[in-house]
This record gives sequence, structure tokens and C-alpha cells, in this order.
Amino acid sequence: MKAARTAYPIRWRVMDALEAVAGILWPRFFRAGTPYLMLAPAILLVGLLVLGLWQMADASFRTLDTNTFLLSEDYSLANYKRAVTESLFITVAGRSLVGSIIVTVLTLVISFPYAYVMVRTPSATLRKFLLIALFLPFFIGQVVRAYGWLIILGNQGMVNEAFGLIGIAPMRLLYNYPAVLFGLVQYMMPFAVLMLAPALTAIPEEIEAAAGSLGADWVRTFRHVVLPMARPGFVGAGLVVLTLSLTDFAIPAMLGGGSQDFIANAIYDQFFRTSDQGLGATLALLLVAVGSLLVGLVFTLFGAGTLAMGRVKA
Amino acid sequence: MPDAANAATARDGRGEAPIAVSVRHVNMVYNGQHAVKDASFDLPKGNFLTILGPSGSGKTTLLRMIAGFGAPTSGNIVINGRAVGAVPPHRRSIGMVFQKLALFPHMTAAENVAFPLKMRRRDARTIPDKVERYLNLVRLGGLGDRRIHQLSGGQQQRVAIARALVFEPDLLLLDEPLAALDRKLREEMQLEFRRIQRELGVTTINVTHDQREALVVSDEIIVMDKGEIQQKAQPTETYRQPNNPFVANFIGVTNFLQGKALSFEAEGEVRFLHGDVVLRGRAGSAAASLGNGREVRGALRAEQIRIAAEEAALTGLDTVVSGEVEDAIFEGERVVYEISVPALDGAILRVFDHDVVGHTQFEAGRRVFLGWTVKDVLVFAG
Repeated sequence: MKAARTAYPIRWRVMDALEAVAGILWPRFFRAGTPYLMLAPAILLVGLLVLGLWQMADASFRTLDTNTFLLSEDYSLANYKRAVTESLFITVAGRSLVGSIIVTVLTLVISFPYAYVMVRTPSATLRKFLLIALFLPFFIGQVVRAYGWLIILGNQGMVNEAFGLIGIAPMRLLYNYPAVLFGLVQYMMPFAVLMLAPALTAIPEEIEAAAGSLGADWVRTFRHVVLPMARPGFVGAGLVVLTLSLTDFAIPAMLGGGSQDFIANAIYDQFFRTSDQGLGATLALLLVAVGSLLVGLVFTLFGAGTLAMGRVKA
Repeated sequence: MPDAANAATARDGRGEAPIAVSVRHVNMVYNGQHAVKDASFDLPKGNFLTILGPSGSGKTTLLRMIAGFGAPTSGNIVINGRAVGAVPPHRRSIGMVFQKLALFPHMTAAENVAFPLKMRRRDARTIPDKVERYLNLVRLGGLGDRRIHQLSGGQQQRVAIARALVFEPDLLLLDEPLAALDRKLREEMQLEFRRIQRELGVTTINVTHDQREALVVSDEIIVMDKGEIQQKAQPTETYRQPNNPFVANFIGVTNFLQGKALSFEAEGEVRFLHGDVVLRGRAGSAAASLGNGREVRGALRAEQIRIAAEEAALTGLDTVVSGEVEDAIFEGERVVYEISVPALDGAILRVFDHDVVGHTQFEAGRRVFLGWTVKDVLVFAG
């Protein structure tokens, strides 16, 4: 018996001691409160966010006094009126919305085959390669990556040089809408693949084999079985890509060269260039509202997808 | 193989049944290993064949090749006169019930059953009737609107069967669909499979590692081991007349008595020496392999051994030995004894007593007598 006792690893005994201390500090009858205690940090963070939003809501109703560069004392809806009537903001909003929807669709279309191959390939080597290829740009960061595109797509960039070799005159590949969308799609792909992969893993291979034996070729297997079963993944990935690209700042700023601003860029300008905190706050709140509306729309139309966690309505 | 085919048709009384599936010298090699080695058999139309074997015996690989998931490395598979070598699954007329059923969770039971009809572009007007007919066949009438997760395990099995049969395939394949069920449900579904198969007369190949299932449902059983077909015979023959020690050991509970052949006598009787006891049995392998001095093994089924407290109770049996009860396991419908027999070099024999109600159970340590006849011992080479 004695030998067995000394055989307990030191880690176990340390843990036992810690448990005893915890028992004194947090007696048994507090146990029911433990889960809430663990929630506290998250609640604190969200609470701070709400405080910030409250501050911004307050600022959004005050206009900028251009003489003193201070916000007015009295409340008005002037900022909101400017936000929805001035053509600059309408253009920027339209550009961001349409852009984020296009980016979402393109990203999902491109990411699905990637995720599918990554999940289904019998080769562990290929799977690892695909995962690394996915994560490598992730590690580099958005700004550096956008800068990379500047080098590749620039007027003297690799692509234009390659065009030159086959006799195509160099063209402007940067600082336009497609360049921004391209950059966003490239940036969003890892997110989409990572959200689609679990949904595809959840579809047993046997299900696809069954569809085959029941008479479906791969196109129809895809349409009638894989696609509907992967829907939670599409919804989850779509929501993430949609919200991230709607609110993106760096890619429109760098690949758009100032001519292709998204909402986030307009907000930045208001806060840090014009110093109109009131209008900036208004735009930010409107962005939150539009984003929430879009997410709510997707939730009601398609369900919450993988973001619903736990129980998904079948 | 034609004799096997004749036997099957003679029993059905349907006359000469055409061959539905013909497997010819099929090999499947993975990384230099034979998953299936030179498998050949014919299956007459309307027959229920079970491929029985332990895991890794190649039975599922063989079934999947017939289904079209993976082409054989060499050899031919002919279904209804058509060589199907490179034909993809969706162009074969094969209904398959998968191990994990593979029902579509995003569809109702009826939509699952309708799926193959839609995929095969059958006349849309006939689909609802057909779906209902097959749901009734599997006794799920009225449950068509249920989602898959709203059905019990047994009901899901039935949906999978209906889905595999509704398009009237040439062939039904069962890939161990019952393996995950509890025993009672499994036995119920075995009888269901048999009923439905007989009702429709569909040619069926079932894969299982469950010997009881194989014996219950099949017209014929193929026993596989290490990728090779060991025996193809009717259930009773497989049980009574196993081809080799593997089959004898895999189906039923069999005692093996190692020995050296002494003589091969008239009517296939073999004498062999086990330790220094001469035992007698009937030849299970070719006579040439049982010649004098050859290593042989006598196979003796546990239920063929009589057990009694007194030697006198066993008169009339060819071999009677005494032994000591090592263990007695009460299993309900039978008692399983493990008995050491000094006369057989201390070999432990497993013995069943099926008269649980009439006999008192022998306790461990008790001296008993065991007896059997010559024909109970099947002698194999090796």
C-alpha cells in the first residue's frame, strides 16, 4: 500500500493541495455560483463594449461646431440626416454592401471545393499541405498581405510583366473595385474554409456512397445531398465572411488607394481626419445596425447554421 | 459451381434459375496485400447469399466491388449478364443498405424512399404510390412524414430497406446493417429481411460477421477468411460439413483434437493418434491428405458431446472418456461446461448441455463421463 501511495506523481499531489485551498476559499455551498464566476470576464468585456456603444450613441446626436471643433451641447438628428442624404456616404454604403455580398458569394464558391478536398482526401500529406497553405497567409497579417498584392498587381508588378511577355500592354490592376473585391476574397477564404470544413466532416462519406448506389451521379449527389447537408456550414461561413468584409478597413484602403472606400474607411476619416466624432459615431452605429439587420435576415431565412452551436433544427 | 446452383433451385422448386451475379477470379490488392484473393462464385436469381467472415476477411471489400465502389485489381463481376467492371454505382441497378444506414437526415422517411426514384427519373406521377407501397412493405405505413431523427433505430432500418428496394433493383446488398442493433432488435430485423426478401424474390447478398444471422437468413453462405473463400454451401451443410478447420471453428463452438493419422478405412473413417489414445472420426479433407503419419485435427462440436454422471448412461456411443468439470457456465438455454480429460492429454473440451430444465448442473471439480460417436468427429488435414 505504501509503495502505491508514493507512486502518485507530484502533479497529482499539487493538484490535491490546490483543490484543498480552493475548498477553503470557495466553499461547497458557493458551488452553484461557479459557472457564473467563469462567465464574469466575458460579461465584463461585453459590458465595456455596451458602454462604448452608449457613448457613441450619445455623440451621434451632437453636431460638430466648426469654430471650436467641439461637439454641440444640444441633441439633433442632423448627423443621421447627413449620413442618409449625402451622396458620398450613400455611395460608400452601397459599395460596401454590394461588395461584401459579392465577396461572400465568391468566397463560398471558391472555398467549398477547397474545404471538400481537404476533408475528403485520403492522403494525409495533401490534407496537411492544404491546411498549411490556408494558414500561411493567416500568419502574415492583413496589411502585409495587401502590400504583397500591391507588389504583384502593380504597374511594374509580376502580373503585368507576365502580360508583357505575351504582348499584352500593362494595365491598371490596382486601385479599383475589382482589386478590392479580389483582395477581400483572398483574405476571407481561410475563414470560410475553416467554417465549412466541420460541416463537411459531419457528412458521412457513406451518405455520398448511398446517393451513388441510389442512382445519383456526382452532380446530383452534390445538389440533393451534400449541399443541403452542408447548409449550416455555408450559413456560418457566409455570416462570418459577410460581416468581416462589410466592416473591413485595410483592404479597401490599400488596394482601393483611397478611391474605393468602404464604410470603415469613411468612419476612420470622420474620426481621425475631419475629427467629426459625431458623424463618425453615427456612421459606426448605422454600420452596426445594417450588419445586425443582415445577420438577422440570414438567421430568419436560413437558420443560424454552425453559429447556432448545440442543437440545430433539422 | 453448377451443382450449388442446382441445389438451390431444386429446393425452391422454381426450376432452373438464371445466374444473377457471377464473380470470376476477383482479386483486390491494397499496398501489395490481397484484400480479396481469387474469389469466384455464382449466385442464382432470387437467392439470399450471406458472406460470413471475421473482420478483415475481405467480405466487405468484395461486397463493395459488387456495388461498384472500387474496381477489382483483376477478375470479372457479371451482374445479369452484364460485365460491370468500370460501371459506376449509379449506373448499376443495385440497392444497398449501408452499415450506418446512410439515410438522408434532411429529408423525411418518404422523401428518402422517393430519392432513388427521382434520381432514376421514374415517372413522377407513380412515385407517391410506389413510396407508400414500399413503406407498407416494411411496415412503416403512415410514418412517411417523419424526419429520420424522429424514427427509432428499427424504423430507420426499415426506411433504409425500403429505399434500397423501391426502384426494384436487380440486386440487394446488405453491408452489415444490423451490426449496431441490440440483440432482440437484430433478431427481429433478421426475420424481417428474410420475409421481405422472400416476398419480393430479390437476389440478395448480405455481409456479416454474425454466424447466427448467416444461418438464419441465408439460402447459401460463403465463409471468407484472409481474403479467400473458404466454403460456399447451404447453411445446414456449412454447419454439418465444414470444409476446413477455419469454417468448423468460426461457425459454432468446436473442440479440436490434434493428432497423427493412423489409417484411412472404408466409408471414410479415419483413425488417428491423439497423445497415446486412438480416436476415430470421419474424413473432412481429401483422403490423400489424411494418409498414415500426417498431422490431422479432429473437430468435435460442443453440442455433439453427451455428458453424464455415470458411464452406464453413455452406452452405445463409440468413444467414452472420463473427465473433471473445470467450469460450468449457465447461459439460460444451455449450460457450457469446460471439462479436462486426462485420457486426452488433459485437453479441455467444451460441452453444451441443452436440457437445462431436466438435468442438474454439475459443479466444478465433479467427475463426469463424456461420449460421442465416430461421425461426430470430423478429421481435417493439418
